[in-house]
Amino acid sequence: MAKRDIPEINAGSMADIAFLLLIFFLVTTTMDRDKAYIRPIPKKVEITIPPEPIQKRDICKIVANSANQLMVRDKFVEDPDEISELVLEWYRKNEDLTAAETASAALNPQHPGFEFPFYNRFGMAEIDQNIERTTKEAEEIEKVEDADPALIEYYWAKVSEWEKKKKALKLYGKSELPEISPQAHIRIEVQIKTGYEYFAKIQSEIEEALFELRDDASQELWGFGYGRIITTLGNEPTDAEFNAKKTLLEALYPARIIEVTPKK
Amino acid sequence: MSKFKKGGKKEAPGVNTSSLPDIVFMLLFFFMVATTTKDADPSVEITQPTGVRAEDMTPFKQRSEIDFLYIGVPRNKARQDDFKFGYALFLDNVAQPSPGELYSVNTVRRWKLDKFEAKPDRMQQPLKEVITCVKADEKAPTGIIFDIRKELQEIEALKLAYAVKDNGNY
Repeated sequence: MAKRDIPEINAGSMADIAFLLLIFFLVTTTMDRDKAYIRPIPKKVEITIPPEPIQKRDICKIVANSANQLMVRDKFVEDPDEISELVLEWYRKNEDLTAAETASAALNPQHPGFEFPFYNRFGMAEIDQNIERTTKEAEEIEKVEDADPALIEYYWAKVSEWEKKKKALKLYGKSELPEISPQAHIRIEVQIKTGYEYFAKIQSEIEEALFELRDDASQELWGFGYGRIITTLGNEPTDAEFNAKKTLLEALYPARIIEVTPKK
Repeated sequence: MSKFKKGGKKEAPGVNTSSLPDIVFMLLFFFMVATTTKDADPSVEITQPTGVRAEDMTPFKQRSEIDFLYIGVPRNKARQDDFKFGYALFLDNVAQPSPGELYSVNTVRRWKLDKFEAKPDRMQQPLKEVITCVKADEKAPTGIIFDIRKELQEIEALKLAYAVKDNGNY
């Protein structure tokens, strides 16, 4: 049989096909990434328990009205960039006080930190006691006949909170874990006609303050920034070491933000 | 007769284009990797406010754990008066309801649940975890966002994200 040459395939149109695909992708995709601030919405509660009175020092109130004027802790703020510094001050004012200093400052209205949230400090022994106590409470609730499952869940959540603190303290490596007053929170109050620009700016400023707090703590503890923790977890979301670090930083500086639904 | 041919027509040799596909494919792959797919082109105009330290939504998009919701001035200016405050809601991946219905909060609830039902089972995250990302115009009244927030609270979709333009990196 005669040897037949296999005809070569004409690849001249390959470029055209590739161009077609290229243009398709150019048109259907975007370069810029979507960035946003994720905020949890509180669960709707049916039963209204009268809320515990919250001390003024524990609230960092940020207000923006419909004329787009800003107020932080009842003082007018001209430049919205100042918000982050005021939030920082609110977090840091009493951070370095010892337990004895905290106790005396809480009674002394002349103390510079009187109007700012105080910190609690927990040693390992105290945390262990609390784990024991909360576990006992949760077990007792479970024994009660037809106990509300939500209530049982609530009690076990308390236990896991203390266990989280125990882990955080171990990683922190110091004798005590400072914790901002459990009721301390940032409160955003806007009006219906406040521009989204200002609402977003407030969120941005809070995030900036939190980043700086966590970044400084991270630098001090491990010698690298909070940004590195975020980037690493972005690439490797299950990295145990960095997740523990992030949890510790979030325990030290929690982002407790309440957004108040505007009425007018 | 001369040994060397002079004159006559000289033809320029053709450029070898056999490596052109390779170059184009390289470009193609670059764009495939470096970009993300665009979601619906909203029919509302939005200028996003700027912010810093915002979280990147790309991982959520890739897992389709995020629904986008736009608040802006309708491109068709004649319809602007149909909406409360002159701002319209645009929900991605749905045919737009009639203008009267467009800015009605019930639409959000139905849209969110419809989108949730439409997902294949293996991709289903609990509704609580699916983020609703609000992309609003910088001048949009915040009241609209709180109306949406209340609707989401009713159906227990408890994650809301406020989109900003953030050029910085961590």
